[in-house]
Amino acid sequence: MMRFSKYYKLLAYLVLSLYAFIVVGPFFMIIMNSFKTMRELFMKPFSLPSKFIYQNYIQAWQRASIARGYINSAIVATISVVTVVLLASMFAYMISKYEFKIRRYLFIYSMLGLALPARLAVIPIFLLLRTLNLTNSLLGLILVYSSVNIPFSAFILKNFIDSVPNELCEAARIDGASVPTIYSRIILPLIKPALSISAIVTFVNVWNDFFFPLILINDRSKATITLAVSIFFGEYSNQWHLLFSGLALSIAPTVILFLIFSQYFIAGMTQGAIK
Amino acid sequence: MKIKLKYILAFVLPAMFLYTIFVIYPLFDSLRLSFYSWRGVGPKIFVGLRNYKDMFTGGFSKEVFNAFSHNIYFFALVSTLELGLGFLIALLLASKIKGTKIFRTVVYLPNMIPLVMVGFMWSLFLHPQIGLVNQFLKVIGLGTLARPWLGDPNLALTTIIMVNVWRNLGFYVLVILASILNISPDLIEAAYIDGATNWKISWKIIFPLTVPTFRTLLILLFIGSFNVFDMIYALAGVQAGPFRSTDVLGTVFYRTAFGGLGSAYTDMGLGAAVTVFIFMIVMPMSILYVYLVERSDRR
Repeated sequence: MMRFSKYYKLLAYLVLSLYAFIVVGPFFMIIMNSFKTMRELFMKPFSLPSKFIYQNYIQAWQRASIARGYINSAIVATISVVTVVLLASMFAYMISKYEFKIRRYLFIYSMLGLALPARLAVIPIFLLLRTLNLTNSLLGLILVYSSVNIPFSAFILKNFIDSVPNELCEAARIDGASVPTIYSRIILPLIKPALSISAIVTFVNVWNDFFFPLILINDRSKATITLAVSIFFGEYSNQWHLLFSGLALSIAPTVILFLIFSQYFIAGMTQGAIK
Repeated sequence: MKIKLKYILAFVLPAMFLYTIFVIYPLFDSLRLSFYSWRGVGPKIFVGLRNYKDMFTGGFSKEVFNAFSHNIYFFALVSTLELGLGFLIALLLASKIKGTKIFRTVVYLPNMIPLVMVGFMWSLFLHPQIGLVNQFLKVIGLGTLARPWLGDPNLALTTIIMVNVWRNLGFYVLVILASILNISPDLIEAAYIDGATNWKISWKIIFPLTVPTFRTLLILLFIGSFNVFDMIYALAGVQAGPFRSTDVLGTVFYRTAFGGLGSAYTDMGLGAAVTVFIFMIVMPMSILYVYLVERSDRR
């Protein structure tokens, strides 16, 4: 790789540290200010809290219905992830390993969803769910997310399944393995890394989405975490100490998960764009 | 391998059924709806091309084209900053300096936060009097630079774009970095032996070899820039204030289709027409993207 002189490396460190400071600073400030009183927050925004007022968190937790938001988001994200990974891997297995007339068109058809933002379809989606009596319901959200996220996973999984040697499937077939057996006993175990990539990407997409809950959910008890915090920001716009603790609470799960599994997340989230 | 039809159906249909019902059919149903006038309840009235006429002439067209120009500005600025800075920072990370792994994690961190929450957190930081940004400028002696970042119509959209860069830059850094690391080290080694400088290597070897990545990223940035919504919603509100200076097609669509106080035009049909308009802008890029994906797939 490239070689750099000492001075150049020093410059690189300086630039990267400045960048890291700009990224981390805001998170640090959220945590600092989430423990202060309103008054202290305005008078001394950059100091450490003189007293750690953890009660801010209790209040924010209750008033923003954080628990409800976590649970709803977790239900929606988990079920969507399982559905997407299962259906997309079955689909990808077919169009990767078998030859039939329309398989190329099926692939192109499924890729359309990768390039066309599903938000553009939101009015008909809303009307469709209303007809099915599924607006304002977690099931409605799950159906939408499971469908919207299929193209990306199908794309990633197909690439991985392509690299599984055909001879392996052929040999299994000669030994009498059926199509479903090849799928569950050979393909799935061999593409575990890809399964976790598509699971992670789908999870983050669903967990972080705000647009569909905003339009499809209007009952607070059904709100996902993003919608719950957005409602909270509207109601408590003057109580900054609570807003900061609410923010800290709402971003904590993803930040902690990310810090533990950062290499997986990074590999997964950047994978799709490189091709 | 050959296969029986029943297996094809069993494995392909579930995914394609959901995908068709909740993605493809709704996309086309938007087109049908755009020929109607409808409040969401009550009778649908067929109005032919009237929604399109409204969109391109008269009062509503001003709103639409104001927003459209903001989407273009958004795309231009975001892609320049994210790809330009992304390339530079990726180059720094590609060198073998220590701590690269930690930097990679740090750089990517904001990407994990939902856009809408990034918007809310910066709405606190950017408050004109008590926001941390202006207070910080005062502390370091640059108080004259303090501005009502989101309150000044000339500044608000650019500020929102900067917040967007803060959140997304890490993604572009890491994608470009991955593509730089894909370049064979021998190539760079050979250039050194021929006496090339770092500057030359960056521009004559690394940059040309990462162009395919830039092309893909530009396409995705273009599609993304016409779907901006969350951050405008959080930082400027549904009315995209001050004075519609941050309005984009996404917020026009939301106000039109799903109301929002004070919007002069509310109609599901007209809202659908706005999405068809966005669709038409994005479509060529989407086709290009699918073409590139399919081509690399057949190789």
